[in-house]
Amino acid sequence: MASSEMKERRTEGPSSALWIAKPLATAARQFLKSLVRPSTIVYPFERLEDPQFRDRVRVASGEPIGIGRVWDNYRGVHALNIATCISCNLCAFSCPDLCIDMVTVPGGDPKHPKKCPQIDYGKCSYCGFCSDACPEGCLTMTTRYELATSKRSEMVFSPQQLYEVFERKLPMNPIRLERPENEDAILLEGPLCIGCNACARDCPTQCITMLDIPKPTAKPGERLPKRIWKEPVINDSDCVRCGTCISVCPKECLFWGTHP
Amino acid sequence: MSEMWINMGPQHPMTHGLWNLRVRIEGEIILDADPEMGYLHRGIEKISEDRHYNEIITLMDRTCYVAGIAWEHLYIQAAEQALHVTPPERAEYIRVLTEEMQRLASHIMWYAAFVQDLGLMSPFLYGMRDRDLLLDIFQSFTGGRLTYEYMRVGGVRNDLPPGTTAQVRQTMDWLMDRFVEYDRLCLGSDIFRRRCDDIGVLKANDCVTYGVTGPMLRAAGVARDLRKDRPYAVYDQLEFDVARADSADVTGRYLVRLQEMRQSVRILRQVVDWLDGHPGPVMAEHVPRWLGAPYAPIGREGYLVKRSYPKGLGFSAIEEPHGEAAAYVVNEGGEHPYRVKFRSPVFVNLSAVKKYLVGYRVADIPPILGSVDVCVGEVDR
Repeated sequence: MASSEMKERRTEGPSSALWIAKPLATAARQFLKSLVRPSTIVYPFERLEDPQFRDRVRVASGEPIGIGRVWDNYRGVHALNIATCISCNLCAFSCPDLCIDMVTVPGGDPKHPKKCPQIDYGKCSYCGFCSDACPEGCLTMTTRYELATSKRSEMVFSPQQLYEVFERKLPMNPIRLERPENEDAILLEGPLCIGCNACARDCPTQCITMLDIPKPTAKPGERLPKRIWKEPVINDSDCVRCGTCISVCPKECLFWGTHP
Repeated sequence: MSEMWINMGPQHPMTHGLWNLRVRIEGEIILDADPEMGYLHRGIEKISEDRHYNEIITLMDRTCYVAGIAWEHLYIQAAEQALHVTPPERAEYIRVLTEEMQRLASHIMWYAAFVQDLGLMSPFLYGMRDRDLLLDIFQSFTGGRLTYEYMRVGGVRNDLPPGTTAQVRQTMDWLMDRFVEYDRLCLGSDIFRRRCDDIGVLKANDCVTYGVTGPMLRAAGVARDLRKDRPYAVYDQLEFDVARADSADVTGRYLVRLQEMRQSVRILRQVVDWLDGHPGPVMAEHVPRWLGAPYAPIGREGYLVKRSYPKGLGFSAIEEPHGEAAAYVVNEGGEHPYRVKFRSPVFVNLSAVKKYLVGYRVADIPPILGSVDVCVGEVDR
């Protein structure tokens, strides 16, 4: 029964006397080429970022090909310049893996503790969204790629460790994004505001100032709302659009929009 | 002789990932086949419902790990339709450039894996070597070698750096010579032909019945290619032919893929010529800020308070290296899509495994399934 179910297939013998000579000749040519100029590098002893590979184009089987200096663009371990970090949280917000925690670093005043990203490379997917979102350009991705370790806790890089990567001055991604001109700004819906100062207190760039507004005179029988008679004014040129003020506003009176 | 079921997988080298092929055999002959998928399910569709539109791009690269940017292109087209965003033309051309390069990389990867299934080691090494050159080009403008995260709603992240188009031209010339070498190694070998001719036959009407698409369908003689039949991006402005073979067997699928690679080179040469002559923006203007373009999406909540924006549905279908993939994105007016649904071509192609496996011998299973070009990451999603 089984043999009758077998499908037909080719059964005749070799088609010519050269039935395996052609592929063997091709392979032999490649083999001889690779003896002169190999396509591979001996990794732990040679590295792609070594000068002889970095500045020259990649070599594949003798023919020079590939892009020189490909490594500048690589998305590897981050470098953090703690001095220019403004603790805006944008890197942590934009992380799809939630692998960035903002931890306190020395250097801030007690009222405004300075917080810098701490990255868990066990979770990181190296997508580069955080360095794209960084308004100050202080969190960038470098060409460092060796992270093997025997302890899981060593995969978590504190801001100081990221700063050490920065100090090594590795090549960084040269492609930076520019902010669009028609960027949305943060607007205020005045009547809802209670003047609580939360936005100005938490703004990482200190671009919000609370200005006095005139207290209206109550008409007979009308009760004025309980509030502080101040309103935030946002300096758009200093604002980095991190949205911290929106998330801390207790009355949801700040929102994204374009200026009328 | 008694019959028995044997498991090929889920960790068999033939399976190219985690899935289990159960076959009922009597002696050498396959009487029945039963694919079991689901070992690599990561819930990408469900996770997508909790991510910003741009964040889903990171998942798309991981859906199919050999054709990441094709899936980015698929998703981004549907998302743009749902969000009513139109990308500039240069971005469309760059997307086509990346997709065709990805098709080349994926087919070369398939070639390497397929010949290794047959026990040929040298072509495997040549394939991996040649694919690396394409990954180098990808790395020069996306920063990644396998997970690119390059496309954004409204365009692409950055323009091509100077020198990329010249690099693509040089690599294409080099690859065209390599394709001749591939053919010499495989079609010139009688051992290869005797292992691959007339096995795994899936005729055209069976392909249509089971929904099998891609090189398997074209190897059965049907010139069906979404790039021609339902042109997306800028494929209607490019000249190319649809690869086709008539034998419907493993050799036919080999011929179709090799021909497709040559057609991809032809497309790429036209695309880089266009890109050289037409500088311009790569990101649409007036992309809503809360989408985060051209940055990553920023902020997890509070961004859409007191804003109104149109709802929408997005559907896109592309000719992915493995077959026809489709995506459906429902924008119900939140920061995240309400629902994202993908059609995986390999899932469908594998589901028809009984049709093209029964009647052949156990030793024919590796070449037949190698010719399907299995990518389990996309099967299970």
